[in-house]
Amino acid sequence: MTVIDLITRVDAICKKYEKYDIDKHKEANVTGDDAFARLYGVVESEIDAALQKSEAAATEKSRATAVAMNAEIRRTKARLLEELPKLQRLALKKVKGLSREELEARNDLVYSLKDRIEAIPDGSTAAAKQSGGVSGGWAASSSYTGIKIDSSSEEAFESEYFQQTEESDRFRQEYEMRRMKQDQGLEVIAEGLDTLKNMAHDMNEEIDRQMPLMDEIDEKVDRAASDLKSTNVRLKDTVNQLRSSRNFCIDIILLCIILGIAAYLYNVLK
Amino acid sequence: MSTSDPSKLISKADKLTKLSLTRWSADWKSATVLYEQAANGFRVARNYEKAKLAFEKASQGQEMLSSPWDAAKHMESAAALAKELRNWAEVIDFYRKASELYMQCDRPQPASDALAKGARALEDALPDDAIQLYTDACVILEDDGKEQMAFDLYRAATSVYVKLEKYTDAAAFLLRLGLAADKCNARNSQCKAYLSAIIVYLYAHDLKQAEKCYNDCSQIDAFLGSDQNRCASKLLSAYTEGDVEEIKRVAQSSAISNLDNVIIKLARKLP
Repeated sequence: MTVIDLITRVDAICKKYEKYDIDKHKEANVTGDDAFARLYGVVESEIDAALQKSEAAATEKSRATAVAMNAEIRRTKARLLEELPKLQRLALKKVKGLSREELEARNDLVYSLKDRIEAIPDGSTAAAKQSGGVSGGWAASSSYTGIKIDSSSEEAFESEYFQQTEESDRFRQEYEMRRMKQDQGLEVIAEGLDTLKNMAHDMNEEIDRQMPLMDEIDEKVDRAASDLKSTNVRLKDTVNQLRSSRNFCIDIILLCIILGIAAYLYNVLK
Repeated sequence: MSTSDPSKLISKADKLTKLSLTRWSADWKSATVLYEQAANGFRVARNYEKAKLAFEKASQGQEMLSSPWDAAKHMESAAALAKELRNWAEVIDFYRKASELYMQCDRPQPASDALAKGARALEDALPDDAIQLYTDACVILEDDGKEQMAFDLYRAATSVYVKLEKYTDAAAFLLRLGLAADKCNARNSQCKAYLSAIIVYLYAHDLKQAEKCYNDCSQIDAFLGSDQNRCASKLLSAYTEGDVEEIKRVAQSSAISNLDNVIIKLARKLP
């Protein structure tokens, strides 16, 4: 058999068993008047998109984008949950061409859809359960996540939250260390200032002590100086008197007289 | 004259001063000069006994010449020599006489200085007499209105008391110091004195007295607002709680480290 033959045979078989092709029916139904099926299809496609987004968010490195994506997912979830009751009503409506079993099946489908929507990981379910623990400290939250191990989504969060607590832990530690160092430095400064203050006080008192002494010295020195001055003046007077010209002339005259007398005597005796 | 034998000088001077038939009045002036020279000669020759004697006689001569100042100076030299000879009774005598002579000159400060020197010399040998001398010195200064100078004397007296383990007396002296400081407005010294007094009481294991002391001191405004006050209250509260760690920590603090060395030692040994 050639390839062409195979293809034609496959085509023929498909056509024969078309009525068993659910997807094709679905597509056909989408374009049909079955509102339920239409809505169902829309919801399912949105769920798939949300799942994809959540996976992207889980692998996202930047926390801001992860948070934004999670918020987006949450919004989609909320919207879908709102549309569920509509779907339920549609499901109960009787549509021509549908058996009763299919009708019940549609109900089950709707319920399962609800579970699927809520199961989409959006980074908030774990947080809601831990809101009490978060305020206690990041370390507590990591232990909380450790306890919840039933749903897979929680496991995805564990690693996320752990990262958070590690980072903030380190930050807090650094902050504490810096604060301690500052405190130590300030203590040293305070002690130095205490010593300075004490020394300054002592110096103050010492100077106060010496002030009256200086005053006394000042007084005594002043008195001594004035005494000296008066003594000097008197001395000058006395010396002047001694050296006055009158006395000097008298001295010279007397000297001449004595010399004269001596000469006369010499002459007489010779 | 100064190179000749000091003993000869002394005998000469003695002859001048002794009254006898040929001498009707002692010639103190020349005698004093001779005595001084002899004393210096002996001091250089390290003959302390004779030097002391010579100084005594010189001082007597100066007294006769009515110059108490020189007399006092000689007395002090004699006392210093007596200290070398460890003749404590004479030391006390001489220093007291010197201080009296200084008072005669109307100079209270050298008087108290002389007594303080005597007290310092006697600290090890006769502590009680030392304290007596210190007290007298402080009294002289206080009478003169110069309490500032008395601080050092008070502190020295307290250290002697502490050595003798007479803690109540020591604390009393510290309070007197505080009073003197108060008169001169020396706030820092005053607060330090009060803190030291409290520490001394605590060291004597007299918690009630310490608390009473603290209450008394709290009446004084200057103490109330001071660092030392806070330190004292911390110390007392640590004591009432019986917290040894706290006591040790307060004792290491800077307020106590600024006090006298003796007091710091007591504080460190506290509980």
